[in-house]
Amino acid sequence: MKSIDGLKFAEMIKLGAHHLFLNADYVDSLNVFPVPDGDTGTNMNLSMTSGAKEVETNAVAHIGETAQALSKGLLMGARGNSGVILSQLFRGFGKAIENEPNVDGKKFSAALKYGVETAYKAVMKPVEGTILTVAKDASNAGVEAAATTDDFIEVMEAIVFEAKASLERTPDLLAVLKEVGVVDSGGQGLVYVYEGFLANLKGEGLPERTDDEAMGELISAEHQRSLQGFMNTEDIIYGYCTEFMVQFEESKLKDHPYDENNFRQELSQFGDSLLVISDDDVAKVHIHSEEPGDVLSFSQKHGSLIDIKIENMREQHINLVGKKHDVHNGQQQETVKHPYAIVTVAMGSGIAEILKSVGASAVIEGGQTMNPSTEDIVKAIQDVGAERVLILPNNKNIIMAAQQAAEVIGIEAVVVPTKTVPEGLAAILAFNPEANVQTNAEAMTEAASYVKTAQVTHAVRDTTIDGIDIKKNQFMGISEGKIVATHALVEDVTKVLLKTVIDDESEIVTILYGEGVTEEDANVLKLYIDENFDHVDTEVYNGKQPLYPYIISVE
Amino acid sequence: MSIEVINEYGKIDITNNVISQVVGEAAIECYGIVGMASRHQIRDGLTEILRKENYSRGVIVRNVGEETHIDMYVIIGYGTKISEVAYQVQSKVKYTLEKSIGVSVKSVNIFVQGVRVTNL
Repeated sequence: MKSIDGLKFAEMIKLGAHHLFLNADYVDSLNVFPVPDGDTGTNMNLSMTSGAKEVETNAVAHIGETAQALSKGLLMGARGNSGVILSQLFRGFGKAIENEPNVDGKKFSAALKYGVETAYKAVMKPVEGTILTVAKDASNAGVEAAATTDDFIEVMEAIVFEAKASLERTPDLLAVLKEVGVVDSGGQGLVYVYEGFLANLKGEGLPERTDDEAMGELISAEHQRSLQGFMNTEDIIYGYCTEFMVQFEESKLKDHPYDENNFRQELSQFGDSLLVISDDDVAKVHIHSEEPGDVLSFSQKHGSLIDIKIENMREQHINLVGKKHDVHNGQQQETVKHPYAIVTVAMGSGIAEILKSVGASAVIEGGQTMNPSTEDIVKAIQDVGAERVLILPNNKNIIMAAQQAAEVIGIEAVVVPTKTVPEGLAAILAFNPEANVQTNAEAMTEAASYVKTAQVTHAVRDTTIDGIDIKKNQFMGISEGKIVATHALVEDVTKVLLKTVIDDESEIVTILYGEGVTEEDANVLKLYIDENFDHVDTEVYNGKQPLYPYIISVE
Repeated sequence: MSIEVINEYGKIDITNNVISQVVGEAAIECYGIVGMASRHQIRDGLTEILRKENYSRGVIVRNVGEETHIDMYVIIGYGTKISEVAYQVQSKVKYTLEKSIGVSVKSVNIFVQGVRVTNL
């Protein structure tokens, strides 16, 4: 067979849906991810049935149109995570062959691949080891096979083969599957659909699941569900997980003929989580019971017992719960050990104290004339020993060093580019220990931007900056980095400076006085502000900073 | 603003920020979710899809008395069944919170803030 048309495709879909329908319960039992509510099979089946129904009523020879019908039906009927994914897979598939009257192996597998790409686009963080992975691997195998053969059936065989292989690998990709010991439920559902496609192409019956594999999966899933269901070990009613096989014996069967349903009914009195699978020679049993001995004796009437395994579930549960507790403890210790730290730079012991009093973890000595090196900053951060750190350079010449420090430090570190001490103060006050680093950095940068800084210092030589002549030892007033006033007297410079920085919107003026002025001078200045700017409140602190008689912040 | 769990050994305090992080992570693992959105898209002026650090802007944890409610703002992929995707997020979020934090939420409200059209 080289290619298929829409009617053939409709038949394939019908059988695929039917195969899924037959195995929906089994798929349900595998469901542990993302929410172990055991409805993946039901959901996928309902989704696929809706798709198949739409195809049945709208099937035409044009495969593009048939695929559109499937896509529409699946979308409308999509239920559950895997149902939605299934609908996306076939939406992309349908889109790719929209205008094709019939498709060969190449086009078919390429369309499947396109469907996978579509499906991947609709999720931010694809989880591998799910139906997505199975679909991806299968479509890739299909594309490869189509390159070497133009027989449609061979291509489909390759797809099914790889889908199964990929399904077997899902526990390696998704830890929760491995833990429980099952394959992914959605992936299994997709395999059933593909198997149905293949069976129709070959004109064969649907493949039967071998009971042995199925039993293993069922037991794992059932077991996990019941173990997780208990909060306390004392709540476990049936304490022993009992598994065994009964090898039927002619002589015993004469007196006690075996009937699977009756046998299951009889066993159910001994406990719960009961599973019975049997063929002509042997019955396989799994049960959680408080009296495993009774179960064994009872079952012996049909034959001899082999492969007996009994486990104490209370012990298992204690281990499971114990493990969980250990994890919690570990996490708690870690958060206690590594709090946030704010590392900042300032000159003057007074300023350092003020910064520390509002929340700085470490204040590095440094400033305009003495920029700390990257190494100094790194060392300060290491001494604090925090896991996450915010660095406030408080000087534009130190921002670079701070950023380098943040890069090399090896822990989460963000620089809030504060250019002056008042900006740094405002930034620290905006710090929120409950928010993450990035949010804090944003909030703090914003807070710093609301602050205007005025500084008064003296010139070290004659110069002309910003069009203003400055003589050595004159005082100059700097507002936001620009020189706005010069005068021989500190007071006069400061008064001119204040007029430029305080405006109608200003509310608080903070004066940090340092080298060259006394507390009395500062208080005189405060009086001057109170008299001339009656809408602002003024606070005075001893910053003890060198070089700058006054550092004034206005906000 | 936090959730308190009191047991025999003492008190466990989980901030809402942690909850929104957990909830956000759980949500974006859901199929069909292409991202978390901000609650106030215009005010926050953020690009449509939130980055990890900003999930708290798109996940609101409300404590009403003893009960906890979650409001979350999401962006869903075009062509999916939006109601179903939203339902999946609700159940996944509820499950994840119960499993990882032991908090049972009263409601999980999904606000679909946008639909992302992939280039198809």
